[in-house]
Amino acid sequence: MRNRITLLSFMIAILQFMSVQAQERVISGTVTTAQNAMPLPGVNVVIEGTNKGTVTDFDGNYTINAETGDVLSFSSIGYKTVKRTVNTEDQIDVTLEADLQALDEVVVTALGISRDKKSLGYATQEVDGDDLTIAKDQNVIGALGGRIAGVQVTGSSGASMGGTQKIKIRGVNSIGGGDQPLIVVDGTPISNANFAGSAGADYGNLGQDVNPADIESVNVLKGPAASALYGIRGQYGVIMITTKKGAAEKFTVQVNSSFSVETTYDFMPLQNLYGGGSSLNFRTLPNGDPYVDISVDESWGPRMDGTPVRQVFSFYPQDPTYGQLTPFVPHPDNIKDYYETGYTFNNTVSVAGGGEKTNFRISLNDTKIDGVEPNTHLDRNNLTIHADADVVERVNVSTNVTYARNDAQRPGQGSEVGANYLVQWFQRNVDMNRLRDYQYDDGTFLHWNLRRPSSETGEITNFDPLYWNNPFFNAYENLSQDNRDRFFGDVGITFEILDNLSLSGHIRGDLYTQNIQERTAFGGTSLPSFYIGKFQNKEFNYEFLAQFDEEWGDLSLNASVGGNIWNRNYTYLSMATVGGLSAPGFYNIDASIDRPATNNYLLRKQVRSLFGLVSLGYEDTFFVDASLRNDNSSALPEDNNSYWYPSISGSVIFSEFMDWDPMSFGKFRASYAQAGSDLGPYETTMGFGVGTVYEGTNTLFVPDNLNNPNIEPSFAHSYELGLDLRFFDSRLGIDLTYYEQKNKNQIINLDVSGTSGFSSTTINAGLIENKGIEVAITARPIETEKFFWDTNLNFASNESMVVELAPGIDVYTYSSTTYSSVTSYLNSYEGKPFGSLVGTAYQRDEATGQILLGEDNMPLYTDETYNFGSVLPDYTGGFSNTFVYGNWRLSGMIEFQGGGQFFSRSKMLAVRTGQDPITVEVNDRGANVRDPLEDGGGVKVEGISAATGQPVSAYVDARSYYRNVVGRRIYEEWLFDASYIKMKELRLGYTFTKDILGNFPVENVQLAVIAQNPFMIWQEAPDGIDPSAISTGSQSISWYESGQLPSVRSIGVDLNITF
Amino acid sequence: MKKYIIILLFCNLSLLGCSEFDEDINVNPNIPGEASGTQLIANAQLYLPSISSSPQGEFLAQYLAETQYVGVSLYPEGSTSFYWFYEGPLMNLQTVLNSEEDLNASEGPVANQLAVAKILKAYFYWNLTDRWGDVPYFEALQGADNFTPAYDTQESIYMDLFDLLKEANDQIVPGDIDNDLVYGGDMDKWQKLGNSIRLLMALRLSEVNPQLAQEEFNAALADGVMDSNDDSLVFQHLADANNQNYWYQQVIDRNREWWALTVNLVEDMKPVDDPRLEVYGNPARETGEFVGMPFGETEALGTEEYSLLGSAITAQDAPIYLVTYPQVLFAIAEAAERDWVTEDAETYYNMAVENSILQWTGSTEGVDAFLSQPEVAYDSANAIERIAEQRWIHLFMNGYEAWSEWRRTGFPDDFVQPEGRAVPTRLAYPDTEDFNNAENFNAAVERQFGGEDSIYGNVWWDE
Repeated sequence: MRNRITLLSFMIAILQFMSVQAQERVISGTVTTAQNAMPLPGVNVVIEGTNKGTVTDFDGNYTINAETGDVLSFSSIGYKTVKRTVNTEDQIDVTLEADLQALDEVVVTALGISRDKKSLGYATQEVDGDDLTIAKDQNVIGALGGRIAGVQVTGSSGASMGGTQKIKIRGVNSIGGGDQPLIVVDGTPISNANFAGSAGADYGNLGQDVNPADIESVNVLKGPAASALYGIRGQYGVIMITTKKGAAEKFTVQVNSSFSVETTYDFMPLQNLYGGGSSLNFRTLPNGDPYVDISVDESWGPRMDGTPVRQVFSFYPQDPTYGQLTPFVPHPDNIKDYYETGYTFNNTVSVAGGGEKTNFRISLNDTKIDGVEPNTHLDRNNLTIHADADVVERVNVSTNVTYARNDAQRPGQGSEVGANYLVQWFQRNVDMNRLRDYQYDDGTFLHWNLRRPSSETGEITNFDPLYWNNPFFNAYENLSQDNRDRFFGDVGITFEILDNLSLSGHIRGDLYTQNIQERTAFGGTSLPSFYIGKFQNKEFNYEFLAQFDEEWGDLSLNASVGGNIWNRNYTYLSMATVGGLSAPGFYNIDASIDRPATNNYLLRKQVRSLFGLVSLGYEDTFFVDASLRNDNSSALPEDNNSYWYPSISGSVIFSEFMDWDPMSFGKFRASYAQAGSDLGPYETTMGFGVGTVYEGTNTLFVPDNLNNPNIEPSFAHSYELGLDLRFFDSRLGIDLTYYEQKNKNQIINLDVSGTSGFSSTTINAGLIENKGIEVAITARPIETEKFFWDTNLNFASNESMVVELAPGIDVYTYSSTTYSSVTSYLNSYEGKPFGSLVGTAYQRDEATGQILLGEDNMPLYTDETYNFGSVLPDYTGGFSNTFVYGNWRLSGMIEFQGGGQFFSRSKMLAVRTGQDPITVEVNDRGANVRDPLEDGGGVKVEGISAATGQPVSAYVDARSYYRNVVGRRIYEEWLFDASYIKMKELRLGYTFTKDILGNFPVENVQLAVIAQNPFMIWQEAPDGIDPSAISTGSQSISWYESGQLPSVRSIGVDLNITF
Repeated sequence: MKKYIIILLFCNLSLLGCSEFDEDINVNPNIPGEASGTQLIANAQLYLPSISSSPQGEFLAQYLAETQYVGVSLYPEGSTSFYWFYEGPLMNLQTVLNSEEDLNASEGPVANQLAVAKILKAYFYWNLTDRWGDVPYFEALQGADNFTPAYDTQESIYMDLFDLLKEANDQIVPGDIDNDLVYGGDMDKWQKLGNSIRLLMALRLSEVNPQLAQEEFNAALADGVMDSNDDSLVFQHLADANNQNYWYQQVIDRNREWWALTVNLVEDMKPVDDPRLEVYGNPARETGEFVGMPFGETEALGTEEYSLLGSAITAQDAPIYLVTYPQVLFAIAEAAERDWVTEDAETYYNMAVENSILQWTGSTEGVDAFLSQPEVAYDSANAIERIAEQRWIHLFMNGYEAWSEWRRTGFPDDFVQPEGRAVPTRLAYPDTEDFNNAENFNAAVERQFGGEDSIYGNVWWDE
């Protein structure tokens, strides 16, 4: 804390210093178009090398504070940028010409090499940092969702606070699912590891340690053609993040504050007619009083008609309602009542500037989140420093350092923890608000699920919960805490030997320590326990790069040669108590009743690389690139650890020799490349597992996975064709890409028959072929004097086909989930699309397709091998729009997905436990399905008798039907289409420019209302299940849902002040 | 760091030596690279309780009824995995048997280490084939050499296991072995165990091949079987969460009061004041009486009204009885009744019951009086049935074994058919075999059960 105060006062001092230094005056002027001299609104006017800037108003007018010698840059999409140096004049009017090329953009490509975008022979798509932060998404990966064609982000609910955001580029490229791209920040590869399992607290992907407010731009290298220079780490694409830098001879201070409020929404609809229990009649105490069967965690009980009954609270002698009968009524919002309003407070201060030979930027961020689940929070800080200086002529020394700190107490995810189980197992009559005070004064915990009262005394004496804890007990007693300290960044030196030849060397590091603690308290369903883990990562890259640029007339050459050593050292120490804790509240390994489970681990890995790149250009129209990389990995077998990764690409700007007015730019590109991916260390030799120690005897066992001494890295071959077209003075841009990526020799742990003595073996296998198209359309459909509309549509369709698995193997089980002895699988079959969902289906009559019924008229079901088809979406994309009217700016981001499917265990169990409205429907005889059959109740079942082959129409007992058959065994019923259209982000902002602010000592103020996940526009799946947040934690493919966290909507205000 | 810069400059620039890493960089420092034979055997022994500790086995033998969440006791069709047998104990034991040259005699004579591995291997495979029928045997446990082993007939597995047990018996030499969790290294006890398993396996063939059964039975008997309860194969759990009893974890740790004694069991024991009943169950909380729960009941459920599992059974450090002296005595009594041996059936029957009571209660007090009751006393007119019924009571909580004996003898003959469903006669193969080993799996199902892998096929010895 003290350090933070010191830092703050330092910044204030800088501010004061600057206000003395500045000798600025107001410059104003009008911007008009060159074609028709119309005023041009929305033009960015920026003092070069600073973040100071403004935007022209409806009439094309602007005012800005500048000094003599400043260079003003006037830019607007579709127009050529104009620069003017401030001399003595106070008024600078400019006219902007439409930009026919519009593509003199420089993009950062692999290894940080800056390239002219028009010369590239492969697809890259860039997102501006400002676009990523319109609604203040704190996870850069999450913010990318929908913004780039072919990039699919699978999020987690806002309730998880900093939970995992997973990214897939161009579909599934790995049979085992491990196809996360490499993340590179200012040239430094950083870890995007994840400490979360698919249940428990979601600690999130580590890529979120980049502060989005520091990001200048993100460039996604989508396929091997773009990422081949990353060789063995480039198979699954690269996300290149460039952070903001300072500028020469100018100080800028920016303050950004946002505050938002998070609320839960979209709960699964549940019935409010029948309460807890397993039969329509109340059980009775010895004195004849009816009571709610609190040993049953389902809602198949009596009708909630207000009958006075003994409810769970009345059995606690400490409770004011002890011994009393209270009306048996529904509590319709009893799940929603558990959640609170969350808050996020996010502040960033940045100072940027520089001298003639120096340049720096420092930014400090503080984020505090109070979650929607009770007693959860996340605190984050980021400190980012960039500095560089020309220490002597032609020698520049630079550094980037980010320090990130996270400190959190997070909710659990998965259906067994927190309050997530409630939709699956609960009584509709329980008043959640009564559970909030979860402990009586005498220390007794209040739970809702207890053993039945004694049939002799009518009392309960054992108040240990039966199957489920009071969710508030979970929230306040069973805590999961984590924190992380992390440094990443680089130091580098660049030596410009000649004007066209430079040498540079960098040392890049990523160091973090992740701590995790989990507590299970006395008084709940589980044995009290304590777990602590400390995970330390040290990753260094040592690299050099020589770059040469030359032009000879029409011919240009750009060549680079470099080398890299990547060294990773990762250790952890984790310990857990066994057999309980010695004293309540003493959370320490020392408190372990029995020998604690402990583990220490060391991982070492090194990759040594050499690479080169040559680019040739002719007449600024024809371009050819070729690259080659050699990688040597210590994790591969010693005698076969060196591999080569080539790429070649070319492009032609055909608009140069076409004369068709509407088209302002046209480029054709083609590329071929290979990239790879290796495996973790120690997977080529066998060892033994350490088993349980029995009275001093150490037992050892043969591990279940059979390692393979002949493993090779996996290879991706990719072909790509693309067209980049601009029309109507670049007001319409279309970027089309077609690609094929063949991922060969995947390294997978293939499940084998356990009868071989092993459950799986590491092999090179398979060929996944991805084919797809990507379309990115940018347009400014409307532009008037005061108003313009920019729109951007990203669309991608991909097919992932499993062409081959291993010889003799035609099924690969990626994942499976079992409930009540019924298992479903996510399998890959040779010759079929990736990711088939496999499970139990209805048995159907071959001729008519009708459901077959057994002798009891219950539906019959297949075994667990029915293939329901792929879970992957047919297409994904995003649609973003910006409307600017004067100083007003409205931005919106819509994300969509078509196709795909998933299995919802929440829905299945809501039905099984009698909570779903379907279990209280009125049948066509006018009776509630729960009514006895003889009273006209029952579920109407129609089908064909398996025994006789005759059609059957009959009524069956609702509880037997839903609870024991359909809601337990027939997965076909609980598969849902995953299509959706979601409003992901909204922002309405107003910019107060200098002319409005007058003498206020600030350059520019932006105030905006922001919203994240405000609403789902449309979804195919039933209400209460968010198809965009199906997977939990580290689970990388979304295919089943169980106990999903609730959807969270965040609405707030965002204030930006530039001094 | 200097080292890396040197590597960077020289190795990369010259392209030489880039692929030469420090020798130990890819050697896993986190797990042992070598294991001793007895440590692997000890780990296989940790799986012994899994042979019996499973609700499914207790339901198949109808010892226990479900007080809540009635499901498995209704005998639904569904597969049961046998992979744990192979991946767990059998692979450890096979690794010992494959590495004869590397075994270290400082942990006890190598011949004895091998003999123990063979006896345990036979025991696990015997259970495996009795439950499922034909299973991979000769081609199993070969790792990368064969990921799709063929299924061998139960008959061929039995024949090979008899040979394996004979080999074990013949190779035992004086000298204890280390790290033995069940017999403390006592090779005499191992020898008796191996022969007792052989004896019980032989009896299992009484219907399918009585002649062979008799030969093997007598051969095993001649080689020396158990002669006291101290010889029984018992896995002793510890009062330690790392080595605790499955039923403790379920009932005490996880509050799962899901199992009550069945009516059949209580009604067999209560009228004759069987002293074992107080060990098997607790009196019903509601009445303080021993009350059995109807097996397969789905409506009148409850934990207060019925006798739940006994406190001794759910103790954290409860022993698990696997192959016991009384079983051997019951077997000899039955063999005598079948005229395979010349011993007196009644004497062995009485000894069996006496030792069973001793095993469960720690005392033989009142055994004579107990045995004198007509419901218990040896009944030469219905000898096989009487022996089988008392064996069923003795085998409490070793459900799979009791179920096998029920399948062989048909006794007890009053098993309930829950919701009209017959008691299964085998376990269905794991569904994943259809993914992982389809060809061999389908051939085995076709060969034995005409293509339907159901819980109602008959294994070879169960005719």
